[in-house]
Amino acid sequence: MSQPAFWPLTLILFLPAIVAFVLSLPIIPKAREELIRWIALATTSVVFVISLMVAVPALGGFGGALFSLGDPDMQLVVKLPWIDAFGIEYFLGVDGISMPLVVLTTFLSVLACGASWTISKHVKAYFVLFLLLETGMIGVFVSLDFFLFYVFWEVMLLPMYFLIGIWGGPRREYAAIKFFLYTLLGSVLMLLAILMLYFNSDVSKLSGEQLLATHVVSPLLEPAMQADRIAELQASETPLHTFNLLALAAIGQMPNSPFATAQVFGYSLEVVAFLLLLIGFVIKVPVVPVHTWLPDAHVEAPTPISMILAGVLLKLGGYGIIRICYPICPGGGFELAWLVCGLGVLSMVYGAFAALAQKDFKRMVAYSSVSHMGYVMLGLGVWSAVAGREYAWESWAQGVNGAMFQMLAHGISSAGMFFMVGVLYDRVHHRNLEEFGGIFGKMPVYAGLAVAVFFAGLGLPGLCGFIGEVLVTLSAWNYSHMLAVISAFTVILTAGYILWAIQRVYLGAEYRGPHEEALTPMTQRELAIATPLVFLAVLFGVYPQSLFDYVTPSVNQQVETLADWTRDVRDPELRAKAEAMQTTEVSVVNQVVVNSGVSTQ
Amino acid sequence: MELVETDLGATLSTLLGLAWLIPLGSFVAILFFGPKMGPHGRNSAWVATGAIGTSFVLSLFAFGNWMVTHPPVSGHHGDDHGVSEEAGHDDHAAWDVQDRAGKTPASFVNFAEEHGEAASDGHADEHGDDHAEAHAADGHAEHHDDHGHGEHAAEKIAYSGDWYRLYSSPSLVLSIGWYIDSLTVFLFVMVTFIATCIHVYASGYMHDELHDITDHEVTLASGEHLHRPGRFPRFFQALSLFCFSMLGIVIAGNLAMVFMFWELVGICSWFLIGFYFERKSASTAANKAFIVNRVGDFGMLIGLMALWGALGTLHFGDSVSVDADGHQVVQPGLFSLVRPAENGHALQVPDGMVVAAAANRVGDIASVVSPEEARAVVEEQVSGWRARGYGNWLLVIAGLGIFCGCMGKSAQVPLHVWLPDAMEGPTPVSALVHSATMVAAGVYLTGRFYPVLSPDVLVVIAYIGAITLFIAATIALVCTDIKRVLAYSTVSQLGYMMLALGLGGWVAGLFHLVTHAFFKSLLFMCSGSVIHACHTNDMRRMGGLLKKMPYTGWTMLVGCLAIIGAGIPFSLGGLHIGLSGYYSKDAILAQALVYSRVNESHALLWYAAAGGAAMTAFYMFRLWFMTFLGEPRDEHVAEHVHESPAVMTAPLVVLAVMAVIAGWSIGPLGVAALLEQARPLGTAAGMTGGGLLTAAVTVPAEAASHAPEVHVYATWVAFATASSGVLLAAVFYVWRLINPGLIATTLRPVYTFLENKWYFDEIYEWIFVKPAHGVAMLASANDRGIIDSILHLVAWASRQLAAVDAWVDRVVVDGVVNTLASVTWSSGLRLRDLQTGRLRQYVMFIVVGTVAIFLLASMMLSTTVASP
Repeated sequence: MSQPAFWPLTLILFLPAIVAFVLSLPIIPKAREELIRWIALATTSVVFVISLMVAVPALGGFGGALFSLGDPDMQLVVKLPWIDAFGIEYFLGVDGISMPLVVLTTFLSVLACGASWTISKHVKAYFVLFLLLETGMIGVFVSLDFFLFYVFWEVMLLPMYFLIGIWGGPRREYAAIKFFLYTLLGSVLMLLAILMLYFNSDVSKLSGEQLLATHVVSPLLEPAMQADRIAELQASETPLHTFNLLALAAIGQMPNSPFATAQVFGYSLEVVAFLLLLIGFVIKVPVVPVHTWLPDAHVEAPTPISMILAGVLLKLGGYGIIRICYPICPGGGFELAWLVCGLGVLSMVYGAFAALAQKDFKRMVAYSSVSHMGYVMLGLGVWSAVAGREYAWESWAQGVNGAMFQMLAHGISSAGMFFMVGVLYDRVHHRNLEEFGGIFGKMPVYAGLAVAVFFAGLGLPGLCGFIGEVLVTLSAWNYSHMLAVISAFTVILTAGYILWAIQRVYLGAEYRGPHEEALTPMTQRELAIATPLVFLAVLFGVYPQSLFDYVTPSVNQQVETLADWTRDVRDPELRAKAEAMQTTEVSVVNQVVVNSGVSTQ
Repeated sequence: MELVETDLGATLSTLLGLAWLIPLGSFVAILFFGPKMGPHGRNSAWVATGAIGTSFVLSLFAFGNWMVTHPPVSGHHGDDHGVSEEAGHDDHAAWDVQDRAGKTPASFVNFAEEHGEAASDGHADEHGDDHAEAHAADGHAEHHDDHGHGEHAAEKIAYSGDWYRLYSSPSLVLSIGWYIDSLTVFLFVMVTFIATCIHVYASGYMHDELHDITDHEVTLASGEHLHRPGRFPRFFQALSLFCFSMLGIVIAGNLAMVFMFWELVGICSWFLIGFYFERKSASTAANKAFIVNRVGDFGMLIGLMALWGALGTLHFGDSVSVDADGHQVVQPGLFSLVRPAENGHALQVPDGMVVAAAANRVGDIASVVSPEEARAVVEEQVSGWRARGYGNWLLVIAGLGIFCGCMGKSAQVPLHVWLPDAMEGPTPVSALVHSATMVAAGVYLTGRFYPVLSPDVLVVIAYIGAITLFIAATIALVCTDIKRVLAYSTVSQLGYMMLALGLGGWVAGLFHLVTHAFFKSLLFMCSGSVIHACHTNDMRRMGGLLKKMPYTGWTMLVGCLAIIGAGIPFSLGGLHIGLSGYYSKDAILAQALVYSRVNESHALLWYAAAGGAAMTAFYMFRLWFMTFLGEPRDEHVAEHVHESPAVMTAPLVVLAVMAVIAGWSIGPLGVAALLEQARPLGTAAGMTGGGLLTAAVTVPAEAASHAPEVHVYATWVAFATASSGVLLAAVFYVWRLINPGLIATTLRPVYTFLENKWYFDEIYEWIFVKPAHGVAMLASANDRGIIDSILHLVAWASRQLAAVDAWVDRVVVDGVVNTLASVTWSSGLRLRDLQTGRLRQYVMFIVVGTVAIFLLASMMLSTTVASP
């Protein structure tokens, strides 16, 4: 069975890990640091180029794999058995939601690799871990098997722990363990949910079409074989459990879904699983109140790791929610929409206020991430917006599209902001906002680029931060006027903390901190990292369609499916329940009337 | 006819689109190549000036095109001043107004409904001798008849469309497009003209930046003044970006685009105010301006949400698209939704808002019938719901929200605090951005958005405008910084414009916007010339400059006369003669007078307008007298004073000419007539309504204020107030009959209060800024203090638990195991003794053992059997 996407996807996914393995062998001596750096940069660049060739139609694909724009379904599917006993598979694929995130990851990896040039401690170990981290991140985005997803989720965790814990700042160990434990807590809850879903899933209940659409039965098979296989599956007497994310989603959206009927602690399983998964993912996003690992991790992490952390890792949470929580547990999403939106708005406001109070430049940027990722949560949450009683999916879709755009835009702007902070830190070795000033005069090119990046964070029209915020904020109005107003209020705070920081760092007559002599203009290497970020911030700001071309078809399809689900599955159930309630109420009332009648007589 | 119309739309959008984009090109060019443009980037000034000049020429072309195809019928305002009053006509409409003026509120509205929209046609008939115009007017009427809009729609011609879509989905279209009517075209000409003048002026004013300069306002820690390289190209770069952004607001075809460019002008303003970013005061002022504007934008966002959430569109005009079957589909824009043609363009709460407000009822209906039926039922119910007031609030929120944005941009109280501080920017910036264009954008948007504003909102606008004009004027009375006087004067004049709009004087408000742009940019540039010469902003150190700076002095006098509305209060040979401000301010006062007569409870608005006129005259002439007359107060300053170079004075003269003539109308040609052409459909008639925020009010038709009885009175009041202001200023500062210092001492509390600008900054500091920082500190402390403490507690508890666990392991578990082991060991040792090797002994053990097992087993068996 030939799977054209096998090599391209596998290469994107595992090339960094393979190189990491080779690097870790003693054949490359530790002392040849420059060589190791170049190998790492070459690897990340190759992976980026391959992913770009796959993603951009104009580039013609790579090894026969080419992403087809406008196709909302899962593409470039790779599926091989892995652990047969539990039906665990090497199951990869991308759609409009994951493709841009994959390219964002490979792109930021190249830039972060370039930003790692200043790392001089244990260079070999650093790049080995860095490359492993890249495989972990890409793996999460391309996995379609829940178990595989979980494996990559954990794979990513360990390198990150060491990268912060060994190459970080003074409180690196504290920050690393905090990051690790927080994420681990999330992972454990996620594992619980995975097992719950696995043991309640049953592929045999799916229709033939669904089995093909979810790749449980490979559409690449001969039709006759397909039919045999489908018949075989559907005839199964025992439940056929699965980790297939697409199949789980199909099961979750069935009428009388086993996830909806099964009960855990008196709640329906889909609500419990949604909540467990949500907690796991929002820790990563992060939302208030489980966000305190982020400022510490950022402050302690070296610049390139901060870029990756803000640019990619935070998106894993949002991606998890959109890919896993909602499609698999739509009932949970329906019930808990207020929670998702509420957490989003809370993060927006709280993060913005906290950013305003920071004295540490990097901590300020970290809190701005909390605030900006709140938009993502809000956008995903208005998914359950209902206009009147009509399920106006366009408005939900707008929120989710906005959230996706915001994730990608934030990937650019936050990575840029952390890099800009890093450029200064490399020179003067402090980040105290009160001890800067006058940088515009000393490093005009750098300051110009930095201000552009910060303006992107500010949500200025023409730069990438604007579109996502507008789409999300507007779409929130149809869900809740109050939340929308609060989220609109955040624009004032955002302007406040960003402009104030710019004033303290870049404006002013003179530099007020130590090591003034070190404030030299940007190097070529730094320019090569900053310029693409600024360019993309402008490109996505004036030509957002370049991203929406990818995102919208898949998002709209998913949202429309879920809207239909609400109308066809959930709403009748709710009505039936309400009617049942009414009848009992009526009968109770009748009873009372009869009784009282009797008593008066 | 239609084909021609479409062609004109295409021509205009192309011309104005180019005029809009060229400054962007200039920005990009200077951004990348600025420092390489000649020595120290000197030629960047030419690039920027050339760009904006080209835009001006293109705008003029567009304007010419417009004037040829749509010549204005007749400017009612110009008529009243210029011709019509003395023409001895017997125009029914006009006499109707006069007869009914001052009667019941309803009469004004009735008048408007009966005759209002036709009034201009009536005027056109007056000039019946001019056949071409009359014909043109008929032509338009026919044209619109073709389209079924009816004769009332005869005035309004607008073209709209989209160039580029940023985001497009069934729920929302974010697009870059155009909405072009005579207002757009004229404002393009005005903005590009003033901007060109200011570019020329700035190339002289900013010449310091061509070489290294020492900034005397910045003292470094070492005690020296800051020495820095010049930034000449950077200034023109920002100025070009500003022109692009500003023109973007003017041409915008939808509110989303307005909002985008709104933010962009905000950031340009931030760059320009903070041009001397080494000065703490400048960067703080820049931040203040942006953040205060964002407060307004917060409101604007809510307005956008309310509109979009209910109506699903933010486009001003209708957009025509072709559907899959090749049919033309007309998507109604905001204006036609709020003022539908079938309702005679009268304001009504649009269906979308009614339904959105009645969401619960829609839900009830939808829960009992199928979606299709529900839709039909809802459609039936809409008019009933509307009659019961559903959606009224939504319309008010939308209006107030958008106006909130306008308040920020146009510096209306309470969001006015940023504008005076914005004077930290270089003076050309103050002239362009902070007097003529950007700050007028709020007024422009209020005017553009006018059809959607309900009477409730208009009352709020009127009061905000009146309060603004009053507060700002009082502060200007005591300011000693020449630019700040002008800044507060700008705030005050913007208040006038808002007041006019709120009172129903659509043309009056925008007319004042135009005239003000000319004379205020003139005044600022004159002040810049003075500052350039004196190197100080403090009027107390000036005096007697007229001799040394004749061009500046005399042009500034023209500006002062224009702003106070100097003119002859009676007609001379059928003509009213005055400077530009004379026409626009009189129009506002007349409208205020009519309004106060119709709504007697709102008479305060009229007094504020009249009183403000007196204060305007006083503070403007106080400024002029202090600066140019008398003896020099500071020899040191006076020594170095010289007239500015021609590159600076030439624009002054040009603008002075404009400040004189901008209000004139020659025949039917004039600003007022042009604006009348752009009047939103349905707004010529007055309206009665409200009741949500105030008691019901009647917004009189603007035509009512042209009645001679109203107008003559208003003109005389304006003349009297202005003259008294000038006289008082002369008494204080020319003839020195009264010592102003004495008054200041006598009225110390009032003087201090005004000198401290009504303590707005201090109050905001205490009720907004400090609490915000407090909350921020709390949030931050909460993270470390509470959330992390809980975490640490959990971590600590886990470690303690682990320690207990380790102890249990060591002592209990290991202890048991160890004890067991040692017991086994020792018992093994003891058992070893049993292993004797003697067979008999072994047999003995076996027998005893077997018996013992047998006994045990039988006992257990018996108990089990016995137990039940």
